[in-house]
Amino acid sequence: MHRKIMASSLAVLTMGALVAGCGTPNNSTSTTNNAGTTGSSAHASFKVGLVTDTGGLNDHGFNHLADVGLTKAEKDFGITGKVVQSTQASDYVPNLQNFAQNGYQLVIAVGFLMDGAVKQVAKEYPKTKFLIIDDPITGMSNVTSAIFNTEQCGYLVGAMAGLMEKQTGLKGINNKNVLGVVGGQQIPPVTSYIAGFQQGVQKTDPGATILVKWANSFSDQALGSQIAQAEISQGADIIFPVAGGTGIGSIDAAQSAGVYAIGVDADQNYLAPATVITSATKGVDTATYDVIKQAMNNKFQSGIQYFNLKNGGVGIATPNSAVPKSVITQVNNLEQQIINGSITVSATMK
Amino acid sequence: MSVLANPQLWFATLAMATPLALPAIGGTFSERSGVVNIAMEGIMLIGAFFAVAFSYWTNSAWLGLLFGMLMGGVISAIFAWAAIRLAADQVVLGMAVNIFAAGLTAFLLDTVFGFNGTPANTPSLPTVHLPWLKSMPFLSGVFNDQSVLVYIMIVIVIVSHWFLFYTRLGLRIRSVGENPLAADTAGLSVSRLRYTGVIIGGLLSALGGAYLSIGILHSFDVNMTNGRGYIALAAMIFGKWTPFGAFGASLLFGFATALGIALQSFNVSSNLLGMLPYVLTILALAGLVGRSTPPAADGIPYEQHR
Repeated sequence: MHRKIMASSLAVLTMGALVAGCGTPNNSTSTTNNAGTTGSSAHASFKVGLVTDTGGLNDHGFNHLADVGLTKAEKDFGITGKVVQSTQASDYVPNLQNFAQNGYQLVIAVGFLMDGAVKQVAKEYPKTKFLIIDDPITGMSNVTSAIFNTEQCGYLVGAMAGLMEKQTGLKGINNKNVLGVVGGQQIPPVTSYIAGFQQGVQKTDPGATILVKWANSFSDQALGSQIAQAEISQGADIIFPVAGGTGIGSIDAAQSAGVYAIGVDADQNYLAPATVITSATKGVDTATYDVIKQAMNNKFQSGIQYFNLKNGGVGIATPNSAVPKSVITQVNNLEQQIINGSITVSATMK
Repeated sequence: MSVLANPQLWFATLAMATPLALPAIGGTFSERSGVVNIAMEGIMLIGAFFAVAFSYWTNSAWLGLLFGMLMGGVISAIFAWAAIRLAADQVVLGMAVNIFAAGLTAFLLDTVFGFNGTPANTPSLPTVHLPWLKSMPFLSGVFNDQSVLVYIMIVIVIVSHWFLFYTRLGLRIRSVGENPLAADTAGLSVSRLRYTGVIIGGLLSALGGAYLSIGILHSFDVNMTNGRGYIALAAMIFGKWTPFGAFGASLLFGFATALGIALQSFNVSSNLLGMLPYVLTILALAGLVGRSTPPAADGIPYEQHR
């Protein structure tokens, strides 16, 4: 009988330890990097905490980019940075609170999905500054929101996709004139990309059919692959996934089928160099870096900060060799027109 | 109707049923021997991660598959030891394995491969193309270019049925799940048979995980199983603890997912369609398939009386 008790207590202890392990910065992945030889160590007391959403640091996308920005700031300014990854939505509040409690001057929340958590914790810790990525929070003096006009870069990759469809004799491009979009969830940071994509395609290839399918998940690669395959079987030869980890599966499917894909958030060409013709990029790293700099120099500005083509906050990655020069030139022209205001792109999907 | 005539729908059905059928049959083995196994999700993750890792390190997807399954076997052996030898609560143990596996694989992914994830040039298992199916475009559309593991899964369904119901070892495994005391009295080793059931279950669950990581993709992502281990659990119950039943239930879930993808082209809300597999589960369990009765000694630790 005591064997049974031993086993049960063992299991309970293990679980207890695991649960307790969640969400404390000490036990989590730490990117503390004091090796910043170029930065002055005078800033080491400036502490920045970063909380990822459930996508985690290896999402090949915006969580990863936020960490890139933080790491760069550590190197350049010699500040102290720490990252904690959220494994589930209920971790958001305790993870944010933990940093605030431990005297971190700036806490970065990555993602629209943390909206409620940030509003709550920012109210509880009015002296701590917060940055939330992708979500507009106004009227709180200690919160700044980084909003990316991703409809602009979506427009450019859409225009490029449309021009690619019109090329003749390009390997992997069929004559059906169909494009496939795989969306993660119908939330503004996703739909703005897709809205731009639709308008871009409309501009360069108005006759094209755009298939839009939703995965309702940001982490189901297998599903992302199946959705892309379904679109490819309907004739799509360029796939644009806006779905985090789910989209990695879509790119994989495009690669296997010998068609093209467009990356999102980060330059995802490394995932499949011949397949990913370009990526619609979102400068989460730039935003994170800039806000850390502002906060350090007592120039923290509450409210919404916009990142767009004009200030380099969004953009497109260098196209791969499959994209003809003439296409790149035309896309660059459109980029200039958006920057100088002669083209305005709406963030609302059709 | 045009939706149902599209081979792509059935291709996706089969492709999405495979990662459910393998762990569901694995769970069937475990529970038939009398050990409740809700650890399929965790063991799938272990299988998925180590299959990719070894596939990359050895540069052979087949070796990756082998090591992925072995690691699944090792974890399930530890699970079996705690459940059988220590007579621990099997549901709590299974949950512990799931939480542990999710944490372990996420940690290893970060520390071993860094935040860029598993390398893009990781080899993956081949797909099967049967040229003689060419004359039948529909069947060719459904079966051609599926991962080789889809075919292996179909073989496993048949072999598992034969093994459980037509071999002496299968009968013995089932007997310790129904009445371990009688089996013990007849001179069978209850614990050895239960170890066998649980470890076969672990190998199959890990195979299901490896299908996700190196079968249809060639990378690992945190929590990439997305609850498929739990759906497999439902498929096992729905299939009344038989391999064919588990396979049939998995096909139904796979079909619901595939239909969800296909119907989005007809402006049906994707949120509604996402519910389809779960609605089907409730409908089915609410009486469409009749009563599901688990093995009589399922979940009850057996302590030898001497």
